Amino acid sequence: MLIHLKGGRLVDPANNRDEIGDLFIRRDRIVAPPQGGVRADETVDADGLVVMAGGIDIHSHIAGANVSTARLLLPEQHRAHARRPAATPLSNAGWSTFETGCLYAEMGFTTVVEPAISPHQALHAHLELADIPIIDKAILAILGNDDFVLGLMRSGEGASAIQHYVAWILESTRALGIKVINAGGVAAFKDNVRKFSFDDVVPYYGVTSRQIVKALQRAVHDLGVPHPLHVHCNNLGLPGNFKTALETIAAAEDLPLHLAHLQFYGYGAEGNQGFSSSAPQLAEAINSAPNVTIDVGQAMFGQTVTVSSDVLRQFSARGQAHPKKYVIIDGDSNGGGIVPYEYKAGSFFNAVQFAVGLELFLLISDPWRVFFTTDHPNGAPFTTYPEIFALLMNKDLRAQWVSRLPTESAAVTTLPSLTREYTLYEIATMTRAAPARLLGLADRGHLGVGGRADVALYRPGKDLAAMFRSAARVYKDGDLVVRDGAVTHYRFGRSLQVAPAVEATMQRRMASYYDARYGLPSDFMRVPEGAVGRPQPFETIACSC
Amino acid sequence: MEHMASGDQGVTEPAASIDGDPASLEDAAAEAARLLARSSQPLIAGLGADIEGARAAIALAEQVGGVVEHMHSSVLMRDLDCLRETGVMLTTPGEARVRADVLLLVGDALVETWPALIERLLRLPARPEGVDVARRVIWLAPEADAKIPGFSGEITVIGAGIGATRAVNLAVLRARLKGRRVARAEIPLPTLDALAADLKGARFGVAIWTAARLGALELEMLNGLVRDLNDTTRFSTLPLAAPDNGAGVLAACGWMTGFPMRTGFGTGAPEHNPWRFDAERLVASGETDCVLWVSAFGAPPLVWRGGSISVALCDRETRLAETPKVRIEVARPGVDHDAVLHSPDTGTLGAVSAKAPRTAAPTVAEALARIAARLQDSSASTC
Repeated sequence: MLIHLKGGRLVDPANNRDEIGDLFIRRDRIVAPPQGGVRADETVDADGLVVMAGGIDIHSHIAGANVSTARLLLPEQHRAHARRPAATPLSNAGWSTFETGCLYAEMGFTTVVEPAISPHQALHAHLELADIPIIDKAILAILGNDDFVLGLMRSGEGASAIQHYVAWILESTRALGIKVINAGGVAAFKDNVRKFSFDDVVPYYGVTSRQIVKALQRAVHDLGVPHPLHVHCNNLGLPGNFKTALETIAAAEDLPLHLAHLQFYGYGAEGNQGFSSSAPQLAEAINSAPNVTIDVGQAMFGQTVTVSSDVLRQFSARGQAHPKKYVIIDGDSNGGGIVPYEYKAGSFFNAVQFAVGLELFLLISDPWRVFFTTDHPNGAPFTTYPEIFALLMNKDLRAQWVSRLPTESAAVTTLPSLTREYTLYEIATMTRAAPARLLGLADRGHLGVGGRADVALYRPGKDLAAMFRSAARVYKDGDLVVRDGAVTHYRFGRSLQVAPAVEATMQRRMASYYDARYGLPSDFMRVPEGAVGRPQPFETIACSC
Repeated sequence: MEHMASGDQGVTEPAASIDGDPASLEDAAAEAARLLARSSQPLIAGLGADIEGARAAIALAEQVGGVVEHMHSSVLMRDLDCLRETGVMLTTPGEARVRADVLLLVGDALVETWPALIERLLRLPARPEGVDVARRVIWLAPEADAKIPGFSGEITVIGAGIGATRAVNLAVLRARLKGRRVARAEIPLPTLDALAADLKGARFGVAIWTAARLGALELEMLNGLVRDLNDTTRFSTLPLAAPDNGAGVLAACGWMTGFPMRTGFGTGAPEHNPWRFDAERLVASGETDCVLWVSAFGAPPLVWRGGSISVALCDRETRLAETPKVRIEVARPGVDHDAVLHSPDTGTLGAVSAKAPRTAAPTVAEALARIAARLQDSSASTC
């Protein structure tokens, strides 16, 4: 079946295109216009609509053991919604996997990365992902606080052993990449260390956070994994922590590195309250480090829950829990911390956080290197994306929001002075073209011939948020799944993984390690294709080696 | 009468029955669908199933407007209530194994609940990196003369047989830990003070219990005690997992509906109410008129007052007090077929290969899918 999307505005930064034109879809691919009078089976009038590739979210906590715990911790947070058509089972179940897939699809997003899965819990994560309909998904596996990596570094085994281990983890857990979260700090917390910075030493193992980050960065790079090491720095949320981010950026040297939710590291210690925005310094550092990418982790006002494998940070923040309850898990490597939190528009601190995120968006000049996230649900739920797009694209709307913030918070940020407005082209770069390139997804994030037919059509209007909340049409693999902002039916996507070659010696070594340390077979974390309960649940993305 | 074993490799034909008479799987599924479709309040209970089975049961519950329950919900809920009312500190069996220098066992039935406790936790493992952790085992408030058979190591037993006053003694211990004055306690104060000092002196302590044997107040005090200990040192908890894949079903229920078990779909959207959707209460009050009981691990059904099972999906050997309207034999997860189950040894979900297939009976998920498929016909014929 040939579908013809006729006369829409194609916003396709990957192909340097922003023009009125036609798009043809056959099966799951974007195809060239038919030759010699072949007519489309279906012609869709896209006149007046904006056509983009399906959105890609590189960092959103949508599945896994910690998200599960958050759901159980907060039954009051997710009352179910109004009844929906029975054609889409459980899509009305608040905060369920099914609702997650529907809400993303309705915004025109078709690929989402769950960025923090402990290797031992990979199967659980993949099972949850399998119950998220429509979109494609992926996980990043967490390393850097686990005994094996730290042990390799302690015994000075060097780069190749770490590289083999990283390959083994990627293959065993079916992950798309590697994330490190407060490198060494979470392991140190198990030894009752309560503060941990970039050059602090992990007790017993004798290695620093800097050494761990650099070792994993090198291993991921040398394996040819498309996505660079995904780093959650030390000292998240603390005043003056922009220095930690600057140190980490400098330590990247010339190799690729991705810094997650930089907003949470954009804090100085200036002003009467000892808390201020350091976004300009961070933006300057990012602007002059072409090897470094970041995502923002924008904070928005309202009740949410922070879900993080930075156990040390979450433990330290337990006093700010709202409502007053929290779960702290000392896991086999990172574990997790679940702390509910409310961002209040009237709070000086929260207003600064809100401003820092927008400052980073607006001050980092290259939309190919700044990624759109709220660190869902840590800064805000992903359902706030439409409001954030509107804030980025309209300086008058921003001024209205700023006018409602505490005046002292405006004084310690540059936000009120920033007049940049994102264009649709830049939005498409940040949410389509750039993430596809960052993750190595050659057939996504663009509208060129041969691309996967993940396509979102939006109806532009004065209300930019409404445009992005309810896509007019969304195609996933060429299948029309959303019409006028509502999911019409389910289909189930795949989980994207890399599969670097694993040394046979490493298999044997891991078997004996797991036996000695845990008394378990090393394959207890394996993710057999048949265990996930969906046909063809995985898709392998090529490594570049 | 049940079908005879087919002989080959000991794999037998599946058995199904209606009113105790042998029936084909198709007929049994159709009859089950008819009962569910006619019911004004179906209850899917037991739920001793693998993850695929739980997924199918939850999907079916939504379809028929039923309630999802698990046979060990009341145990699971006691731990869960602490988690969602006040919050908790948790660790994994693996981390407790390699790191704990103090294990605080509380209450009874620990080895019975998790036989591997001795081998995995009480005995100190060889540490590949050579960290020398001395492990102290303290057993608080077990039954009088309680023993851990098969473990010869040293255990410090405190407050054996205090039974009814366990909650008060835990509260006193917590108060002493905070340096507060107390009037009296069953356990002598010097003993409690020494215990408080030992717990505070732990580098990484782990408290272990099964909620099957502790009350709500006791659990709240224990979790509070552990939270307080973390003001100065590191201490966590390892509540033992309920059997019959309780933790696995809880996980699936959580991600699929947002809620734990005791969730109903009567309004079309999931609604969680631990009192209203308690299976025992629903049966005793007569609010449910159709119970679909799932038990694939061989656990016998609870004995209910005032109601019986309409549809039973269970092991061939399971004896039911009354003949259900429909009985469908199901395969045992991890024995007869590959399955995903929660593992008490790892504290997470794991893929388990079939150990020794004995039957060609359908899996729970397959049996429920057959019923769901016939539901369309049933609703068409009754509407």
